[in-house]
Amino acid sequence: MAIFLGFLSWFSYFFIIFLYALKIARYLRMPVNLRWELYPLGFKEKLKFLGEYLIFSEYFKRKKTYWLFLYPWHVGFVGLILFHLLCFLSALFGREALFRITALVGIISFLSGLFGGIGLFIKRLKDQDLRPYTSFTHFFTYVFTILLFSSGLLAYFLEPSLEGYRRFWERLLRFDFVKVSDGLAFHLLIFSLFLMYLPFTSSVHYLTKILGFFLIRWDNKPMRKGGRIEKLMERQLQRKISWSGPHLQQGSSWKENVFF
Amino acid sequence: MEWASPPTGIKLEGERLFLMKIEDFFKEDPLLCSIKKEELLELPFPFEDPKEIPGIRSLEEGKWREFEVSLDGVMAIGISKPKTEKEKREFINRFLSGLRKLLSEDDNWTFFRPLFHSLEYCQRCQLCSEACPIYLASGRKEIYRPTFRGEILRRIIEKYLKGKGFFSKFKPNDFELTFSAVARLGELSYRCTLCRKCAQVCPLGVDNALIAREIRKLFSQELGIAPKELHELGTMKHLKIGSPTGITPQALKDLVRFIEEDIEERTGERVKIPMDKEGAEVLFLHNTGEFLSFPENLEAFAIIFHRSRIDWTLSSELMGYDAVNYGLWYDDVQLMRIALKQVEIAKTLKVKRIVLGECGHAHKALLGVADRILLKELNIPRESALILIEKILREGKIRLDPRRNDFPVTLHDPCGIVRQMGIVEVPRRILRRICPNFREMNPCGVENYCCGGGSGFAVIRSANFPDWRNLIAGRMKLKQIVEVFQDVISPDINKYVCAPCSNCKAQIRDLFSFYKVWEKCRIFYGGLAELVVNAMADLKRPFIEWEWR
Repeated sequence: MAIFLGFLSWFSYFFIIFLYALKIARYLRMPVNLRWELYPLGFKEKLKFLGEYLIFSEYFKRKKTYWLFLYPWHVGFVGLILFHLLCFLSALFGREALFRITALVGIISFLSGLFGGIGLFIKRLKDQDLRPYTSFTHFFTYVFTILLFSSGLLAYFLEPSLEGYRRFWERLLRFDFVKVSDGLAFHLLIFSLFLMYLPFTSSVHYLTKILGFFLIRWDNKPMRKGGRIEKLMERQLQRKISWSGPHLQQGSSWKENVFF
Repeated sequence: MEWASPPTGIKLEGERLFLMKIEDFFKEDPLLCSIKKEELLELPFPFEDPKEIPGIRSLEEGKWREFEVSLDGVMAIGISKPKTEKEKREFINRFLSGLRKLLSEDDNWTFFRPLFHSLEYCQRCQLCSEACPIYLASGRKEIYRPTFRGEILRRIIEKYLKGKGFFSKFKPNDFELTFSAVARLGELSYRCTLCRKCAQVCPLGVDNALIAREIRKLFSQELGIAPKELHELGTMKHLKIGSPTGITPQALKDLVRFIEEDIEERTGERVKIPMDKEGAEVLFLHNTGEFLSFPENLEAFAIIFHRSRIDWTLSSELMGYDAVNYGLWYDDVQLMRIALKQVEIAKTLKVKRIVLGECGHAHKALLGVADRILLKELNIPRESALILIEKILREGKIRLDPRRNDFPVTLHDPCGIVRQMGIVEVPRRILRRICPNFREMNPCGVENYCCGGGSGFAVIRSANFPDWRNLIAGRMKLKQIVEVFQDVISPDINKYVCAPCSNCKAQIRDLFSFYKVWEKCRIFYGGLAELVVNAMADLKRPFIEWEWR
């Protein structure tokens, strides 16, 4: 069991990093689109975006009951990552203060995520605006997160000193897989499975929304003669069209279609 | 009273159905949405009684039989019903083939990334619904929700294109793609004005208006289906004879002479409108529909340019005199063809820059969207006429007396100019300078509401679509206008809605006629240039004539 859990932990981390990286790389490699920016797009907007990114200000402003659950749910995720990072640091440096901070972050993360997960599950189930657009996979994700955060909470209450966590992390880094308590083992198992599940959801939106704002919504870079965009566009206009509308020449390039 | 319901001769085979679940969209036959006037967004005085407002005319029996109108009983495109099962299957297959192309980088590099982003990362939180004027004005009808089209498209993609993966079993797939569903989706793409207010409020950068546009594109570029006013009588006519209005180069010259005479009659001043002047500083590219429907706008620009000694010209070359680009609303290839022809004319004329008249979508098309296809020598400087007017006023080239505009004025922000081009403060600075009684609508600027005629709606005249446009799409704008003038709503006081966009003006004209706004409230509409000329200190008589037309 200890070896399985150790390998699963390593694998799940690599898996999520690898798949997220693929998704981001794919996004970045997409062809440069025609300009489709939305205004305003100055410095003030970027500050607003930062606020949105950190505290979901747009949701708070426009849909408070949704924000009430959505925000804690996300705080739960961020807190969980931070908690694992702190466990790792605690294992390396072993300071009492660090242990306390780690425990605090952990408990906030578990409680917050649990509250958000349950709240969103109910909200999506009951809210007439949301229900028709909520699929089985949405509910599955909420249940999965409820399980994840509650297992974390359980593991914490079974072992408030977090000694097991730290030992697990410390040994994991040395490929020395150590046996942990059943409660912790269960949480670590769920956590690893969750990491592997995440790339199959739209969770990467936490990163792609930055790309979306910078590469689409705020992208008003004008075309300069002889510049990078002009060269890219020249290449893109050479792509072939397979649209079969009667006013188009199927099989010829965009350039041949538009310069006629 | 219900409207847009089938005539008594038409029996719907299935039970009449009002949409309850997303899957209902895929069912054959039932009418998905029928709305009572009483359910629509309430309007302020003097339009609060729904009984006094006209409804949407029911389509004739022949149209119900011939076309697929089961979305809401309204027809913008008019997709003919196939006669046989085989034809239905072929239609569905061609739609799916188009959908594959929409999701291909080669066929859709133009908007692939924004479309992918919007399809992939929308969380269906419905934050955007509260921003959509059509959804709100309709009394929150599900089919008009900004996320609805995307959700339908996503489910089709999951089931028919992505197919058989492990996770597909858990995705909603309890439906079969029917002809009705595909045709409804096409119609539904013309229930969004592409104003992009939904995109503005999305914290994830999702653009549901773009999804509507991309569905339109699929229908046009693959199936050859688009409203005839946009395609056959729009871009095709534009490319062939020079303008969707039907104005030929010769007709333009005659029209310009008439406009010159009209200027002389109004002002006593002989103002020459230069035509095809090689090497001019400015090629003035305006919406030709304006010359016919609102000639006073071109007259006002001619007077401003004449008095401020701008070296300008119009072009009478084919494609050189109409700034419109309907391709922006439904077809990338047509968009590019028109934009390229327009700048080629400017290049041939050797002008220094193109100045775009008061036309919102022309701003967006030529200043923004088409920018990246204007390669090398076609990359000619382009700017908005609003910027030029402000510059002229700032330089003091025209003597103004704001007291001449001493009536309540509000500004309608055209989406193509504010939210999509970022020109927000310029018209405001001008108005504050020339209109002492200027007042803002709420919300305004980049958060404005669309006039309801955006994305071609103002020119689509098919069947009962204009009724739907006036009753639903323009309702929020009407509410805003009436509210902003509520303290002076009496018909004894002249009021002016400044709408610096041809399309918006056409919509406001229709909207006001539909609700009898002129008769009940004496609210007039017009451009910005007219207000500037009206404020000219030495004009013998007011330039704005308070006559409804």
